[in-house]
Amino acid sequence: MAATYPHPNPPPEGEGINGNPPPGGEGMTRLPPPRTEVGVIGWLRANLFSSRFDSALTVVSLAAIVAALWFGLRWIFITADWTVISALGGLLAIGPYNTEQACPGQNCFWRPQIVLLMVTALLGMAWGMAGGGTARRIAIGAAVIVTLFAFLPYGFERMGMDVRLLLAANVLTTLAGWAIARYTGMSGRTIALCAVAAFVITLALLRGATGVPGLQPVSTLHWGGLMLNLLLAVAGIVISFPIGIALALGRRSNLPVVKLLCVVFIEVFRGVPLITLLFMSQVLVPLAFPEDFQTNSLLRASIIITLFSSAYMAENIRGGLQALHSGQAEAARALGLPAWQTTLFISLPQAIRNVIPAIVGQFIALFKDTTLVYIIGMLDVLEFGRAFIQGNAEYLANQKELFIFLAVVFWIFCYTMSYVSQRVEEHLGVGRR
Amino acid sequence: MLTYQGVEVWRHTKVIQWTLQIVSAIVVVALVAWFFTNIANAVQDREIPHGWGFLDRAYQTPIGHTFLPYESSDSYAYALGVAVVNTLVVSIVGVILATALGIFVGVARLSSNWLVSKLATVYIEFFRNVPLLIQLFFWFYIVLALPPVREGYVIGGGLYINNAAFSMPFPNATGTAGAVVWSLLAAGALAAGYAAFRLLTARELRTGQTSYPLYAGVATAVVIGAISWIVVSLAAGDAPFFISSPEPQGRFGRIAEGFTAPAALVALLVGLVTYTASFIAEIVRAGIQSVRRGQIEASRALGLSPMETLRYVTFPQALRVIIPPLISQFLNLTKNSSLAGAIGYADLTAVAKTMTQLAPAVSIYLLIMVAYLAMSLTYSLIGNLYNRQIRFTGG
Repeated sequence: MAATYPHPNPPPEGEGINGNPPPGGEGMTRLPPPRTEVGVIGWLRANLFSSRFDSALTVVSLAAIVAALWFGLRWIFITADWTVISALGGLLAIGPYNTEQACPGQNCFWRPQIVLLMVTALLGMAWGMAGGGTARRIAIGAAVIVTLFAFLPYGFERMGMDVRLLLAANVLTTLAGWAIARYTGMSGRTIALCAVAAFVITLALLRGATGVPGLQPVSTLHWGGLMLNLLLAVAGIVISFPIGIALALGRRSNLPVVKLLCVVFIEVFRGVPLITLLFMSQVLVPLAFPEDFQTNSLLRASIIITLFSSAYMAENIRGGLQALHSGQAEAARALGLPAWQTTLFISLPQAIRNVIPAIVGQFIALFKDTTLVYIIGMLDVLEFGRAFIQGNAEYLANQKELFIFLAVVFWIFCYTMSYVSQRVEEHLGVGRR
Repeated sequence: MLTYQGVEVWRHTKVIQWTLQIVSAIVVVALVAWFFTNIANAVQDREIPHGWGFLDRAYQTPIGHTFLPYESSDSYAYALGVAVVNTLVVSIVGVILATALGIFVGVARLSSNWLVSKLATVYIEFFRNVPLLIQLFFWFYIVLALPPVREGYVIGGGLYINNAAFSMPFPNATGTAGAVVWSLLAAGALAAGYAAFRLLTARELRTGQTSYPLYAGVATAVVIGAISWIVVSLAAGDAPFFISSPEPQGRFGRIAEGFTAPAALVALLVGLVTYTASFIAEIVRAGIQSVRRGQIEASRALGLSPMETLRYVTFPQALRVIIPPLISQFLNLTKNSSLAGAIGYADLTAVAKTMTQLAPAVSIYLLIMVAYLAMSLTYSLIGNLYNRQIRFTGG
């Protein structure tokens, strides 16, 4: 808005302020800003060489970056021996699921792959519903990464044509999900219901059933690899959320007994390390239930991770509730809403919206913490890789390759989660209302 | 018709609330009681060892590395104490180093230098998005890949770095009495120095006269400390502490004297510190950014230098935002130190896990839960005290 207004005290004609020539006057040309202040040079000056100290910092960090890139790239492309990763291949994804012990006489690889197809279809649906943006980026990214594995040039003896075709089919399911959501006008609620259904189907499919041909039962002892990490994380995230809300409300309620129970639960589960809880559960849980009530280690780990996570979730949500202005609840009560409706429709949505970063941070922590199940002998992706190396002495020198590869895998998942949370936060306009 | 205060009982809020509470309390108590009965029955039926008698028995298992003197003939109770001290020392050293590194990275992230700020961002995004366990395994592998003892690096004649351990000079007590007396006097000297600092700061703020509170405080502490050192040395006939430097000994170059941190401890500390620092850096950044621009501009307009602005305006205000999440990171670091067992360092969880093979598991579980809860409640207490203090002083 460059509206011009007459100056209240215009300087005399031909004379500028303080005797300087008037800007843009007759016979004067406006000079462009000095070349050292704008463009590339200006940016460099402002951001990298604004002072002597700044220049020194720039030179030092540049040297560090060049050295890191030099050694890093040399190591990745020349020194490192990635055969351990190609030898592990799909085993990192499903662990011992498709071994002879787990699935005798049958080929069970297709079951986790059906699960993967369902996941990409769901991502496609989310893309179709949102119509673009982050959902599209993630759906396409997932489909592309998964399909790339189908075209890996090595490992033919383990990864047959059937495996490759099923991997490539993820492109089709993504597009199908997109088309269905797009042309039926699917709502977010329907997709959420589909996701819940898919999770139940996943468990049933992976578990199998006696008597059904081709669906031989696979003991949860043999569930492993990245699949196990993701299953534990998804179950933990989904179940810990409502428990966390209940605990947060309980801790804030004015009923002393309920409050006490919630405080004790939260503080006990927050005060003891997860790994300690996990290894205690291994002995205590079977003792605490009657002998005929069998629990397996997957269920135990899942329960402990969920309870641990819900204690943290409760504290996050409580923070959100505390930050909420009391006027919101008072207005709702004044409009005649009963207490439960005030909580459910007024306080909670706003409280949760305000603590999305903390909640997603907790989800990320939970996903990272699923690596701790090694303590109860479960073969998650990290432990399975380590066990593989222990069992194949020729790879003993290649542990660092495994660790770095897995670090990248986890990083991609966690960074995607935090990226989505930032986008959601922007979308909901947190901090702008 | 049952009524209470003139309202039917099933519509009276108080009655409903109390019924619900009593029912939930009964359910929870019953559930817990059921679990405990089951455990008690299982313990009796399957002849699982139980009770507390094991605490006095000799543990008879070596512990890899301890900060307190430990022999295999020591009792279970003492071994547990040794394990608690291991966890405590690791977490305290880790907390100090992680805070220092975290503040450094957090400030770097806010640097006006584009390159430095991007480097800090990469550091933060990498370390906090990778499971700590993978990082620990990685660091352990790196430390083990260092040259062996005889070919290890020696830096400045005192720091020995090799794949077995890192050794460094460390003060050792000459005699118990002198060391204790001087430590007490040194603590007194620190207190006196701090008191001088507070007094002179107050005076500076009151009168506006430059009083050099920091220099005066440090000088007070150093002078009192030095005088008491001389007095104690004269009285005991020997200096209370001496610096013991690592010395390679024998044919295999085993390093004695000084302080030696085994490879697992080094990897554990490096992993915990770099991981936690990435979280602390974000907390520090958020804290500094929470201080309004106007505050800094006003302080600069009043003629305070950038350093003084940081010291007297930005930092005190940022601290209120930083401290509560920082304390929860300290607690996280302490709890994460329980991953030590994965790389073979004997922390509380690892020792307890070994003990359960020979001693009643349920009793040991109770003990370590109490130990961890005590640590976590201590942190909570510090946090609450701090919160109360900043609330009362206002500002």
